[in-house]
Amino acid sequence: MTATAPASPPAFCNNLHYNQKQKPGMISFLSSTSSSALSSSEFLGLFLPSPNSKRSKSRWCVHGQTSLVFPRAEIGKEKKVDEDDKQPSVSITLDDVNPVGLGRRSRQIFDEVWRKFSELGQISRTRTDESLDTVLIREGPMCEFSIPGAQNTTVLVVGTTSRIGRVVVRKLMLRGYNVKALVRKAEQEVLDMLPRSVEIVIGDVGEPSSLKTAVEGCNKIIYCATARSTITGDLNRVDHQGVYNVTKAFQDYNNRLAQLRAGKSSKSKLLLAKFKSAESLKGWEVRKGTYFQDVVAAKYDGGMDAKFEFTETGNAVFSGYVFTRGGYVELSKKLSLPLGRTLDRYDGLVLSFGGNGRSFVLILEAGPSADTTQSKMYFARISTKVGFCRVRVPFSSFRPVKPDDPPLDPFLVHTLTVRFEPRRQKPTEGPMGTKQDLRSFKLILEYIKALPSGQETDFILVSCTGLGIEPSRREQVLKAKKAGEDSLRRSGLGYTIVRPGPLQEEPGGQRALIFDQGNRISQGISCADVADICVKALHDSTARNKSFDVCYEYVAEKGKELYELVAHLPDKANNYLTPALSVLEKNT
Amino acid sequence: MALRCSSLPTKVEVATPHHLHYFHTKSYSHRLASLCWRRTLSQDDIFSAAASSLSAPLQPSSSQDRSCIPLRVKCSASTAAAINLAPGTPVRPTSILVVGATGTLGRQVVRRALDEGYDVRCLVRPRPAPADFLRDWGATVVNADLSKPETIPATLVGIHTVIDCATGRPEEPIKTVDWEGKVALIQCAKAMGIQKYVFFSIHNCDKHPEVPLMEIKYCTEKFLEESGLTYIVIRLCGFMQALIGQYAVPILEEKSVWGTDAPTRIAYMDTQDIARLTFIALRNEKINKRLLTFAGPRAWTTQEVITLCERLAGQDANVTTVPVSVLKFTRQLTRFFQWTNDVADRLAFSEVLTSDTVFSVPMTETYNLLGVDQKDIVTLEKYLQDYFTNILKKLKDLKAQSKQTDFYI
Repeated sequence: MTATAPASPPAFCNNLHYNQKQKPGMISFLSSTSSSALSSSEFLGLFLPSPNSKRSKSRWCVHGQTSLVFPRAEIGKEKKVDEDDKQPSVSITLDDVNPVGLGRRSRQIFDEVWRKFSELGQISRTRTDESLDTVLIREGPMCEFSIPGAQNTTVLVVGTTSRIGRVVVRKLMLRGYNVKALVRKAEQEVLDMLPRSVEIVIGDVGEPSSLKTAVEGCNKIIYCATARSTITGDLNRVDHQGVYNVTKAFQDYNNRLAQLRAGKSSKSKLLLAKFKSAESLKGWEVRKGTYFQDVVAAKYDGGMDAKFEFTETGNAVFSGYVFTRGGYVELSKKLSLPLGRTLDRYDGLVLSFGGNGRSFVLILEAGPSADTTQSKMYFARISTKVGFCRVRVPFSSFRPVKPDDPPLDPFLVHTLTVRFEPRRQKPTEGPMGTKQDLRSFKLILEYIKALPSGQETDFILVSCTGLGIEPSRREQVLKAKKAGEDSLRRSGLGYTIVRPGPLQEEPGGQRALIFDQGNRISQGISCADVADICVKALHDSTARNKSFDVCYEYVAEKGKELYELVAHLPDKANNYLTPALSVLEKNT
Repeated sequence: MALRCSSLPTKVEVATPHHLHYFHTKSYSHRLASLCWRRTLSQDDIFSAAASSLSAPLQPSSSQDRSCIPLRVKCSASTAAAINLAPGTPVRPTSILVVGATGTLGRQVVRRALDEGYDVRCLVRPRPAPADFLRDWGATVVNADLSKPETIPATLVGIHTVIDCATGRPEEPIKTVDWEGKVALIQCAKAMGIQKYVFFSIHNCDKHPEVPLMEIKYCTEKFLEESGLTYIVIRLCGFMQALIGQYAVPILEEKSVWGTDAPTRIAYMDTQDIARLTFIALRNEKINKRLLTFAGPRAWTTQEVITLCERLAGQDANVTTVPVSVLKFTRQLTRFFQWTNDVADRLAFSEVLTSDTVFSVPMTETYNLLGVDQKDIVTLEKYLQDYFTNILKKLKDLKAQSKQTDFYI
């Protein structure tokens, strides 16, 4: 538009300038470069053939560098002014008598009227209009798929080419999420499978370094990758190590992000104790005791001893033996949390242990720290493996020693105790065989951390139930999957582990689903239903820190029904997931 | 522009048991072959009929006045191959083709299908601005044009179900897409062993042969029935989405709203509901080869809709009421001229408007058949209320924003 303005000499403009008012169809310029125009403070009227009938009604004012398009309401007003003017004033401009202009204008009016008129004579049709689309069709509020907050959530989908992953990506796109897809190679075949606006990141779950960029900017992760074969190496790489690598990359990213804000990530674990030097053993005291306070104890006193020391190899070792019946030894410390931190913002403990595979009792003392006599004791039994392992103990699994006491309130916890007792020890499998004496123990402590709590799940892992896998490889597959699940649980991320029955490729939402814990399912499930569960679980607080099996409901043959069907039919309209999951146990 | 009195679309009864009406017009007479669904499939051998008829009825239409590329043998050759392969190459039941995917209903169908885990392929006409939103959602877009039958077969490879929600645009001749294109598509679907074909038709289309679109829809229904395909025909009344552009937006923009004084009532339905019910029907084997009619919970006249919009928008509409008689007269007038014939076709619905029909059906039976709860079907009040609350909120936000920018200028 600006380019045409200087082309009109002022003299020509004066000729044209019969009327002060501007007519629709003229484009006015307020040219700051031409001084004559500015001094007379008049607009330069100029004829321009308007290519579009609608366009001609709106005016462009070019003022310096800023161009301003009038909002719609103003245009309407101006149009009215023009119409008002037309009736009383008889002043005729060149524009008015120009037959071409007249014809064009009359045609515009006629077209508009005709359009509306002919619309009446039709079966209702929608004009596809961008502004309507944004409200009705895309992720607008009128779209049945839209989820509030989806636009601000970035989800990384690992395994986008899997049967479940493909549907997950589509479902996320429909709901307006920002989706990142992790692919190994950006092959055209793979890219064609994914919606176009998905952000593609190249990486391999087996390569920790390649995941760094993938997790950047992500809020949540859905992991539905699975090993291509049942070769142990493959299984380990994808189902076990892959999960570990992704959780680690994600946690690292969260921590880095938190450091930028000079704080701690709400998803990072809280270190309660780390045993890496001799000083770190300070404050831990070893105690002995028996459950029997009477003569019985003395009668069966076989002796017991325990010590907690820092060895030359750099390990903190708690070891000893308990031969006394009903006796125990324990290692205890008063917890000192960093300033401003309380355990109520945490979900449980994760302990890194090594040793000879005995089981221990964790005891938490809770109560006002000023008055230890009011403390209440809570216990949870943990078992370790030979060698090193990490154990996750959610606070919800602690039970009061006195059954009448209220459930554990993590806020009040002040003392942590690890107790060994020879009761209920199971011999560990391995080379030691039956020769081992279950009354002696060795425990190498590495660290004790608290797992953060949160509202929503951060990481959804699609695992499997083992059904439908060829029997000879089932054990290996399950072992890898289980290891992957465990590494996720210990990561501190809010997790949801979905274990679907054998996958079937059919549309979802057709049959009722059963949610269960405890490996009792027998039916298959459609990939689309699993995908729907994943997407729904993203914002469902009941899904946090849960593992569950899911499959189609078993439909008995007619006449053989044993029970009434009370399962959850998946659909977008009903939120089947919350009621289904709320009855399931947490931290599984 | 020659005056063509002879080209008046008069009703002619062709000796068929179904009392079908065909356009006996001079300009369309060469297409009579293609309009007659009976002729194309009268052979005993359905496969050969489908394969051969693919080229047979369409050739005259394409060879004459239109710039269509004549149909090649390629089409029937590929179909023959498909038949041979049919038992050996099972297609996944989740693979569907949506025709007319960019339309009001089509896009809802695509979205619903994607969400339910189908692999969706969309048949879209090649155009300068491709339908990006479909690919954003995760559908595959293939370019083909129903008016060019040779482009169709390639799009049907590996497809289990075809969902046809296409209707020609108002500005193009009604028969190109809606009749010739559909016939080609159905024949092709048959020849290539498509296992289910869902066709969207218009309610009461059998009662208004004078309206070209409805006539064509009815003929297509019949053609589909005779084709031997496993089909579902779904007749629709009206879309709620259409009301937004027609009434709600003009009222909010304080522009004039055009309405008629017709007493016709239409039971508008949310296209999202239509899509949902369609997929329930699609998976129900009992509904194969049946005709369903979907109607909204209540039938509304134009006046009632406008009043409702006014109430929800909180402002009066500037209504221009056009008597139906004027519409009807215009149609009669335009039918006299060849160059206004398309216009006449477009105005044809006025015939229906004057007929005092109610575009609605009792839905209880359909709900029971599909196992749908009536409460889940969106009413027009609820729909428009949602729209106005959302749009008014948006306008408020925009106003706040524009004030902000004023400040900086």
